[in-house]
Amino acid sequence: MTDPFSIELLTNYLLVGAALFALGMLGFIARRNLIVMFLSAEMMLQGVALSLVAFGRFHGNWSGQIFTIVILTIAACEASIALALIVVLYNRRSSLDVTVWQDVREPGIEPVDVAAEARGAVLATDADGTETYPTLTPAGVEPAHPIRPWTERRR
Amino acid sequence: MTEASSILATVGVLLGAIGTYLLLPQGRGEDKARASYVAGGLFASLGLIGFLALMTLPALSPLDDLIAGSFFYLFAAGAIGCGVMTVTSRSPVYSALWFAGVAVSTAGLFLLAGAQFLAAGNTIVYAGAIVVTFLFVIMLAQMEGKAAYDRSSRSPGRAVFTSFLLLWSLAYCLAGLPGSRREDVAATAAAEDRLRPGRVLGADFFPKAADAAPRVALERSLRPSSSLFIEGDPARPKPNVAGLGEALYTDHLLTVELAGSILFVALIAAVLIADPKPIGGAGKAA
Repeated sequence: MTDPFSIELLTNYLLVGAALFALGMLGFIARRNLIVMFLSAEMMLQGVALSLVAFGRFHGNWSGQIFTIVILTIAACEASIALALIVVLYNRRSSLDVTVWQDVREPGIEPVDVAAEARGAVLATDADGTETYPTLTPAGVEPAHPIRPWTERRR
Repeated sequence: MTEASSILATVGVLLGAIGTYLLLPQGRGEDKARASYVAGGLFASLGLIGFLALMTLPALSPLDDLIAGSFFYLFAAGAIGCGVMTVTSRSPVYSALWFAGVAVSTAGLFLLAGAQFLAAGNTIVYAGAIVVTFLFVIMLAQMEGKAAYDRSSRSPGRAVFTSFLLLWSLAYCLAGLPGSRREDVAATAAAEDRLRPGRVLGADFFPKAADAAPRVALERSLRPSSSLFIEGDPARPKPNVAGLGEALYTDHLLTVELAGSILFVALIAAVLIADPKPIGGAGKAA
């Protein structure tokens, strides 16, 4: 007897997994709320898990499902660390917005005013300026610590 | 691959991209016109229908296949539709609710793919995750979606372009595989050779001598505990939880240990990150 799970069915599952992954990536790139970004990352993991289960079913072994169990474990770890980070970041700036953390960027990259960018403001281009070449960015800088520790400023 | 499927993929992804771009929160957070929502929803639905049309239709003759295929379409549409709404909702509460829809639909797809344990596990784990997310939303985001950062996006145009370019490339690659919308099987026979399941490959590819070294190596790597079926016969599937547990605790024992270690390390990290006491404080006090 041939396996009823044909390659056509596998393709269907892979398409759904690809769509979930792309949508999660869109949410992670575009949204500004930390909680929604976290949910989008979880959605990317769901797409990958779906593809793995379909692959395992197609090849007739358990590896896909075991990988998915590992993904569930990693998702749990990610959730615990991400939510702890969200609490800490919210306590420091009282906002869930990621764009208030632009000063953690590498030195030399200017913070972008998201509101102005959304208005369609054209940034001044220095076409006539000195010639520059792309450089490797250094690692992120440590943000300036508040004078009083943030733990004492909790309300 | 056929021209029709790639055109279908392109049109579906393009419509979906336009719809999602219209649905995403934009601008400086001012309310958008109702027509924008309607047009966005329309385009996104058209794109979803085009994307689903790319998939292979289920066999109509046995009723089981028809029901399974219908449920596949239901869950696939549910997963993708809820995914779009998760990404585009203004309020994080609604995002979490729609994400619950994604998790439930994925659990349904797991069930259809014969992974009952994972369907249950996925539902339980993500139900817990959703509850915790709700807790966080209630605790931190009291603005009920009125925050400016919930009503605007980071460069939505470029983000939509990037993600849907990725989706289009993946769909374009998958459109090369054989399927009912892609009738040109002769051209894809070579491609299907590479995608043959491992066990079939072991039986076909080294048929000559039973003690040939590659065949012995392949048979050792394909242990009986790793198969979904008893003696590789698709008519006799193993019981799900028993088979999964057997494979997990024989072939993948090291994976289990590693997963446990990662959970432990993540627990320590989460406690250290979220601890309200400064790190050096305990030593100074003592």
